[in-house]
Amino acid sequence: MAKQFLDPHDVPPIEGTEGWERMYPYYYQFSTDDKERNEYESGQLWYYDGLHYPEPHSPFDLIWDEAWYLALSQYNSRIFMVPPAKGIDHRIVNGHVYITPIGIADPKEIEARIPLFMKRAGYYYQNWDEIYGDWVEKTKVLIEELEAVEFKNLPEMEDESVVFEHRGIGSGYDLCVKYDELINMGFKVWQYHFEMLNLGYAAYVTFINTANQFFPDIPMATLTKMVSGIDVVMYRPDSELIKLAKMALELKLESNLDAQTSFATLKQELASSDVGQKWLAAFEEARYPWFHISTGTGWFHHNKSWNDDLDVPLANIKMHIEALQSGKDPSRPTEKLIAERDRIVDGYLDLFQDADDRKAFEEALGIARKVFPYVENHLFYVEHWFHSVFWNKMRDLSAVLVDGGMIKDVEDIWYLNRFDIKVLIDDMVRSWATGVVPAGRKKWPKEIEWRKGVMAKFREWTPPPALGVPPEVVTEPFSIVLWGVTTDVLKRWLSSLDVSDGDVTELFGSPGSSGVVEGPARVIRKVEDLALLQTGEIMVAPTTSPSWAPAFTKIAGAVTDVGGPMCHAAIVCREYGLPTVVGTGNGTSVIKTGDLIKIDGDSGLVNIIK
Amino acid sequence: MANLEEKLTLWYTELKGENFPLVGKKNANLGEMLKAGIPISPGFAITIHANDIFIQESGVKAQLEELIANECRETTPENIVKLSNFAMAAIEKAPMPASLEKHILEEYQRLCEICGVKDLPVAVRSSGAVSMPGQMETYLNIRGNKDIIDYIRKCWASSYCIEALTYRINRDLGVLFNIGVGIPKMVNSKSSGVIFTINPLNGDPSKISIDASYGLGEAVVSGLVTPDTYLIDKITLDPVKIHKGSKEIECVYRPGSSDIIEQDVDEARRQAQSLTPEELKHLCVTSKQIEKYYGKAYDIEFGIDADLNFPDSVIILQVRPESIWNKKKAEKKTKEPTDAMNMILKQLINGVKFS
Repeated sequence: MAKQFLDPHDVPPIEGTEGWERMYPYYYQFSTDDKERNEYESGQLWYYDGLHYPEPHSPFDLIWDEAWYLALSQYNSRIFMVPPAKGIDHRIVNGHVYITPIGIADPKEIEARIPLFMKRAGYYYQNWDEIYGDWVEKTKVLIEELEAVEFKNLPEMEDESVVFEHRGIGSGYDLCVKYDELINMGFKVWQYHFEMLNLGYAAYVTFINTANQFFPDIPMATLTKMVSGIDVVMYRPDSELIKLAKMALELKLESNLDAQTSFATLKQELASSDVGQKWLAAFEEARYPWFHISTGTGWFHHNKSWNDDLDVPLANIKMHIEALQSGKDPSRPTEKLIAERDRIVDGYLDLFQDADDRKAFEEALGIARKVFPYVENHLFYVEHWFHSVFWNKMRDLSAVLVDGGMIKDVEDIWYLNRFDIKVLIDDMVRSWATGVVPAGRKKWPKEIEWRKGVMAKFREWTPPPALGVPPEVVTEPFSIVLWGVTTDVLKRWLSSLDVSDGDVTELFGSPGSSGVVEGPARVIRKVEDLALLQTGEIMVAPTTSPSWAPAFTKIAGAVTDVGGPMCHAAIVCREYGLPTVVGTGNGTSVIKTGDLIKIDGDSGLVNIIK
Repeated sequence: MANLEEKLTLWYTELKGENFPLVGKKNANLGEMLKAGIPISPGFAITIHANDIFIQESGVKAQLEELIANECRETTPENIVKLSNFAMAAIEKAPMPASLEKHILEEYQRLCEICGVKDLPVAVRSSGAVSMPGQMETYLNIRGNKDIIDYIRKCWASSYCIEALTYRINRDLGVLFNIGVGIPKMVNSKSSGVIFTINPLNGDPSKISIDASYGLGEAVVSGLVTPDTYLIDKITLDPVKIHKGSKEIECVYRPGSSDIIEQDVDEARRQAQSLTPEELKHLCVTSKQIEKYYGKAYDIEFGIDADLNFPDSVIILQVRPESIWNKKKAEKKTKEPTDAMNMILKQLINGVKFS
């Protein structure tokens, strides 16, 4: 078996993409001319962040990676002074992001950071609920500011208010500033994102490990049930749809919602009746903010939100109506979940014979429960709500650039990185001011066409799961719990270097949700594919999104490429009681739709039967 | 009710744990289990007093006392062999006192009627008032009046086998020793196995561990097969680990006869699990009930009776306290009282160890 992965500097380039590096900031490149940096890079383990990124980054979309590169790292290394941890370093290879956690090796340095961490992190844990309350408020304020951003075409002549209100500034300057503000808001929301997340995960991991110490092999599903939030924001969008489904049945509108009717047609049909209008009003009310949920993870510009395509929530409402008509209640049984949670916790507490052991368990459970709402809910505010609004603001900006003759199509903007766009706007406003053609009007469309070709080649490339030198033992909590990168997983990746895809009949991942099931596979890469799912199929996806909720009532199980036992896919599947294996590495490329597969959510094994 | 001490037989329903001096531990335990609501196979015990009447009235007792007082006064290995041979042969061929035989057969008849089966197959189990693990005999699948009486005598005789005799002499328990005998309905196990109410590998009290295979329990208990193994979360009753065993053979009754045979298990059944999810769940609930009743971890033998419908088919055959982890003083895992903050700090510094 191979001892290490390919050196990050030796990844072969893809023919026809030469020069791709300029699509991304220079600090994302593996270094070529700095010996010290070069040696550091060769000595680290870099793993492909497929958890967040099932596909390569177009230049603009890298913004969120840049955001957390800064935010997560600084909270560990400089703000909370987490004793053994610095940040997580990032690089990009052929459009795919690789990351590596940076630890602190010197025991003296770790020792010195302990009192600082205790004081700083302690303050957050002690005041968690209050700080979380403030967090929600300030995040909502930021989203309001974002919503208020408006991009307008540069005028032929400035409005006379510029003169009579002696504003003193013009639209060209305004556009530059607004773009900067938009980008800064994006980085700011990610500062907020990590304000509490690392501490939240640390508490969660502590609970899992403490419980494992007392009860080896305690299933992750049981642990999740013990902390599970009942009033979790991420479930709210789906529960709004369930409400709308129930209301449609009460108002006897099910025949309108039957069949293939699009939302546009439905709206026309319903507008003519009182009950129809009543339902439409309820639908409209649910949209803000709950339909800002993304149909993907929210990380990519093409992850549409429900508000972007109302046919998506409508299809989900139809599925809920079908379920209700066949006598199933798709609502979360809140009271039952609470009773079940209490029963499980009491059952476990009864097993303790020693008072100190019991107290340690209760302490760890208590803090995990305290952090849980933030750990689950931040996703809705940032990745879903904020991002969904943000992508559309970028589209508004892009329309201005199209109008200014800089680029051809609104969707072309994603092929420019945030620095390219800044320069391009500067070019455009100067040409607007002077009244001459902009310098870049030939350069950018040509560059964008070339980048589209490069992206297509990137998409065909299969990124190796890891590069560089694996540590003897992986102990870094986030790698393990979120990305599923354990010592065993690295070993399996290393051994798979010797086998070609076609011969694989067995895949290993992490146990995501308990149970064994056999069935035909269906590979789902994007939300549109969900419609193809047949009852009883096993969904094979790069990762899953919570907005796929209604699909979980159909499938028999799920397999994902990336994620650990606490990734969102695993949490949702446990909620739905579906056997699930997460973090198989390459399930979507090895398993083909129609393959008969068997998955074991207890051992993490996937067999391709035929 | 007549004095219990004078009874020749006692039904399990009449017994409790403290009655072990009358009927032996195994029998008394079964009575106690019934009191705890644990499903056991119906049956009755032949008392130690009945054994006493038998050896007195048959004259075996006098012959044995004569032997001990004279020929075999010294406890040499040769004498033990001689005593054992004599006692076992004498007991097996001595006539059963008529009134005793009549009484036992009446009770057997009643058991046949309760179960609705003529010549009901039963087990004939030895049950000493002192634990002598595995030293006395149990006979399975015994049916009909003649065999019942014969095998009760064999059971009584087995308390004089060399191992049991040596054990008693070494512990000053005396040579003469009467035992109880249990007569439960034979469980016609389609599957059977052993349960621990903890994980016996690491003492984890939040798990139930079940080994199960096809046929009668002998195959699992004696290690003839690799059974299916289940590790179940004691609180949620969800399976944590399931490992399918190879289960090549099973023990079943020889048709129409009083003994058991081994036979091959076909491929399809080897590939399947030996317990249904419902049976598994029911066994877990019952095991928790047993652990709760006795207040400590238990080791349980069970069978799934092919003659009965679920859930009546789930029968507990035997229970005893788990012997290893109960004795280990519960090891304290938390060395000093701690708060959440310190736990998180320790966690961050030491990293995550689970895979």
